[in-house]
Amino acid sequence: MKVTYSWLKDFVDIKLPPKELAEKLTMAGLEVVSIEKREGDFVFEIEITSNRPDWLSVLGVAREISSLAGLKLKQAKPQESRIKSVAQGLVKISIADKKDCPFYSATIIRDVKVKPSPGWLKKRLESLGCRSVNNIVDITNYILFELGQPLHAFDLDKLGQQFIYVRRAREGESIITIDGEQKILDHEILVIADKNKPVAIAGVMGGKETEVGFETSNILLESAVFNPILVRRSKQRLGLQSESAYRFERGVDPEVARRAPLFALDLMRELALGKPCAYKSMGAVKSTKPAIRLRVSYVARVLGINVPVSKIKQILIGLGFAVRSQKKDTLLIEAPSFRQDIKSPIDIVEEIARIYGYEKIPLSLPAIKPVLNTAGSKNNASVIRGILCGLGLQEVITYSLVDRMLLVKAGINPGIEPVEILNPLSKEQEVLRSTLLPSLMRTLAYNLNQQQDYISIFEIANVFSNQVGSVQHTPQEELSLGIALCGVKSFFIKQGLIKDEVSLLHLKGILESMFNKLGVKNYNLNTQDNQINIVIEEQRIGFILGLSEKTLTSFDIKNKQVVLAEVSLGKLFRHINLNKRFYGIPKYPAITRDISFVIKDEVSVKDLLIAIMEKGSVLLSLAKVVDYYQGKQIPEGFRGLTISCIYRAADRTLTEEEVAPLHNAIYALLEERFGVKLR
Amino acid sequence: MDIKLIQAQIEDELAGVSSLQRLEAVRIKYLGRKGVLAELTSLIGTLAPEERGPFGKEVNALKSNLLGLINEKEKTFSIQNTVSNKGVLDIGLPGISSELGRSHPIIQIIDEICSIFSRMGFSVVEGPEIETEHNNFTGLNIPLDHPSRDAFDTFYLKDYPKLLLRSHTSPVQVRVMKAHKPPLAIVVPGRVYRPDAVDASHLFMFHQIEGFLVDEQIRFSDLKGILELFIKSVFGQDIKMRFRPHFFPFTEPSAEVDISCIICKGKGCSVCGRKGWLEILGSGMIHPNVFKQVGYSPDKYTGFAFGMGVERIAMLKYGINDIRLFFENDLRFLQQF
Repeated sequence: MKVTYSWLKDFVDIKLPPKELAEKLTMAGLEVVSIEKREGDFVFEIEITSNRPDWLSVLGVAREISSLAGLKLKQAKPQESRIKSVAQGLVKISIADKKDCPFYSATIIRDVKVKPSPGWLKKRLESLGCRSVNNIVDITNYILFELGQPLHAFDLDKLGQQFIYVRRAREGESIITIDGEQKILDHEILVIADKNKPVAIAGVMGGKETEVGFETSNILLESAVFNPILVRRSKQRLGLQSESAYRFERGVDPEVARRAPLFALDLMRELALGKPCAYKSMGAVKSTKPAIRLRVSYVARVLGINVPVSKIKQILIGLGFAVRSQKKDTLLIEAPSFRQDIKSPIDIVEEIARIYGYEKIPLSLPAIKPVLNTAGSKNNASVIRGILCGLGLQEVITYSLVDRMLLVKAGINPGIEPVEILNPLSKEQEVLRSTLLPSLMRTLAYNLNQQQDYISIFEIANVFSNQVGSVQHTPQEELSLGIALCGVKSFFIKQGLIKDEVSLLHLKGILESMFNKLGVKNYNLNTQDNQINIVIEEQRIGFILGLSEKTLTSFDIKNKQVVLAEVSLGKLFRHINLNKRFYGIPKYPAITRDISFVIKDEVSVKDLLIAIMEKGSVLLSLAKVVDYYQGKQIPEGFRGLTISCIYRAADRTLTEEEVAPLHNAIYALLEERFGVKLR
Repeated sequence: MDIKLIQAQIEDELAGVSSLQRLEAVRIKYLGRKGVLAELTSLIGTLAPEERGPFGKEVNALKSNLLGLINEKEKTFSIQNTVSNKGVLDIGLPGISSELGRSHPIIQIIDEICSIFSRMGFSVVEGPEIETEHNNFTGLNIPLDHPSRDAFDTFYLKDYPKLLLRSHTSPVQVRVMKAHKPPLAIVVPGRVYRPDAVDASHLFMFHQIEGFLVDEQIRFSDLKGILELFIKSVFGQDIKMRFRPHFFPFTEPSAEVDISCIICKGKGCSVCGRKGWLEILGSGMIHPNVFKQVGYSPDKYTGFAFGMGVERIAMLKYGINDIRLFFENDLRFLQQF
C-alpha cells in the first residue's frame, strides 16, 4: 500500500525526515519497502500484513505514527455530525441476510456537477497510483485511501425504482462491471441489486450501467460493511482485484463505515456542489467487543522480560485501547473499534512487544531437553549419500512435478498412473512423478549438451503413486534413489589415460558397495526382459537397466551409453543392518590357487562360484573372479575366466597336501558340471 | 689448489647442513657437472706429467671422502633411504585418483543447518510432501477464507479434494505435536511447493527448514538467543541481526529476522536493495490456537517456531544470483560446492 509523507502530515506533525520515519515504521511492523521522491513529496510503499486492515489508510498509518512518536492525532470533523434520515420515500434498502452485510447505508445527494477533479485531488490520487476519473468517483477513492472505507457512488437515476437490495446473486445472473467485462454470477456471490438486476458486486466492483458519468446529476453513495469471506470468494471466483475488495476481505472498521459518508459529503459539497438530501441505513454497527483479561505475568512468561505495568498501560493507551486495572496482576482491556484483529491476550502481548521494541527484549538460551528418537530415514539417506559421493557420483535435485510427456518419453513404469495436480501453472507441473529416472535422463541430456563426456549422478527424493483400488484411496509417497551413469570415464593410471565406458556392471558395482556398507545381505539381481531386478527376500526393491537406442534418441542422446538404477529406499531401509559384529582376523596364512578356463557365455558366473564354494567345503574361504576376457584368442560364444580360490584353516597352516585334492575336485566339478575348458 | 683447504671447507659446510635440500645443494656444488671436483679434474690436464698422478689421486681421495661424508650426513636425516621417486620423473603430470562426488549444495546447506541445531539438542524430523488441508492451513491457524492464505498459494491434487502439496514445512509442527507431548525440540528440512511463476528468485519447488521448541517455559528471549547462535554459526560472528515485527498466522508475537547485508556489511547495495539488511527467516511464539488444535494447553506450554528458505540462504552464502541454477543441475555449477 502507498501513502505520501505530506498526506500523513495532515494527521500528525511529523518531525522525522522520511528515511527515519520509514525506519521507525519498519521496526514497528509496517515494512516500508521503498520510498519514492515525487513532485516534492515522498511516496512510501508499505507492506501491510493481512492481520492489520486498520493500517490500510493514511489515517491508519498516521495513527500508528502518533502512538509510536507520542504525537497528537489531528482528526478533522465533518461539517455535519449526521444527515437527517428519511424514514420513507426516496430509497428502499433491503438486506437479505444480515450475516452477509451487517451494515448498509445509502446517502442521496442531488444536483451534483460531475466534472474533472481539481489538481490537488488528482495529484494525491495519482501519487498513490490511482487514476483520476471524475470528481465524484475521485472523492470516493480519496476517502478509501484516507480513511480506509471503500465507498461506492451509483447514478441514482439509473437504479431501477431507486431500490437497494443486498442479496446473493441468482444462478445465471450477470453483470457488466465498470472495467467493461461481463461476469456470470452465482449464489456464492453477494451483489447489490436494484428491483431487477445486480448493479454491483458487493465490496468488489460496481456495474457499468449505474456508473457515475459526466451526465449524472443525482447519486446514491454507499458505505457498508460486507462479510469479508464473501467478498474474498466473490473476488476469487470472478478473478477481480480492487482496492475495495482488498479492504473488505480484511475487514473494515464499522465506526468508519458509519462516518465516512459525512467526510465524502463535505468534499462533494465543495467540489461538486452536491446537496445531501437523504440518508438511510440498515443494520447496527456493533463496535464494542468484550474486554480482554490480561495477566501481567503472562507478558513476562511469553516475552522473557518484565515490562512494568505502567509501561504496559502507557503502550496500550497510546494505541487507543481502554485499560482498567482489575486485581493486582490483571488488566481489563478493550480494543478500539478499528482493531478487529484483537481477540485474545496473546494479541495484546504482541502489541506490547511491538511498541516496547523487539530490540529491547534480551537474548536468553532455553534449557533444551534432548529427545533422542530422531529421524532414521534422514540418517539412512545421509549414509547412502555419503557412500555414493565417495564413489564419485554427483548428487542432483530435480523437480518432483513433471510434464506427463516426460514420463511417456522415458518409457519407464507405464503401469502406474501418476498423481495429477489440479492447478498447475504450466505443463511442467502436470503430475507428481512416479519415478526419478526420467528427470535424471533429462539431466544427463542437459549436461551432454554442455559437452560433458562422462556423467554419474544420483538423486534421493520422494516418488508418488496412485494407489488405485486401495481402501483409503490416498496417493502414496515413498523415498527413492535414482542413479544414472552416462558416457566414457577417462582416468589416469601410471601408464597413461584409460577410457572406460559405462555399463550395467558399473551400476552393479555401485549398488554392491552400497549394500555392503549398509549391511544389506541376501539381495539378488535377476534378469528379466533386459531389465535387472534387485530382489531382497522375494520383494523387488529396484531395478537396473540400460537405455535402448529409441529412448536415447528421444532424449537427443547420441553415441553414448546410459545405464540407470532406481531403488525404493522405503523398502531397502527395512533390510539395513548397521549392527557390526567382529570376527577374528585370520591367524594362519592362506593358500591361493588360480584356475583359468574358457567357458560358454550362457553359464552364469554366479552359479559357478556358488558351486565352487560348496565343493570347497570349510577350507575354501573365498572364490572370486580375478580376470575375464573375451576376444581374439577365445572362440565365439565363449569367454576366458580366471578364478582365485583362497584356502584357509582357522586353527593351523594348511599344507599343499591338504589343498591339492580339494582343488582337483573343483577342477573336476568345473569340467563335468559346467563344461569348462582349462587353459 | 689446496686440496686440504677444500677438504676443510667441505667439512665446515656439511656441519651446517640441516636438510636434504641443503645437502643436495652442497653435493651439486662439489660433485655436480660444473662442481668444484669437476673443475679440479679438469685441471689435471694442465699439470706437468709428473704432477698429474699424485694430484689425480688426491682428487679421487677427496671425491670418495666427500661421497662418504655426504652419505654419512644423509643418514642423519630420518627419511633417507625411504624416499624414492619410484619412476615418476615429473610431478607435474596429472595426479592419479578417483574424483569425489559431491552432495547437492542445497543438501549441504540443509546438513549444515540441521547439524547446528542437532548440536543444540534438536532432533531432525521429516514429513510427507502430500499434506492435508488441515495440517497445511487450518491446524496452523490459517483460516480457509482469509487473506493470510494469499501468502501460501498451493498446488492441490486432482483426484483428492482435501490433499495438497505442502506449501511450507510447518505442517510437520502439527504432525509432531499431535503425536508427541512436550518437551519438543525439532528441526524439519524438506521440499515445499507453491505455484509461483518461475524467475531468477522464484520457483514452484524449493526447500525450507522449520524449527520449533515447545516446553513449559519457552520465551521470546529464548527465540532470540537460539536464532542468534544459529545465524552466527552460519554467517560468522560479525553478523548483526534484527528482529522486526511481522505477521504469521501460526505465531504471535511474530518476527522477521534480518541480518546485516553480507555483501556490503550494512552500507546498502543492490543485493539488499540499499537497505543494508537482508531478510533471512520468519519466526515467532507459537500461537495458542495452534496448541489448542493439537490438544496442548496454552496455559501450560509456550514455544517458538521459525522457518527459512534454504535456497535463499545458499544464494546469500555463495553469492548465487539465480535460483534456477540449483535445479538445472549443470555439473559445472554443482561441482563448485
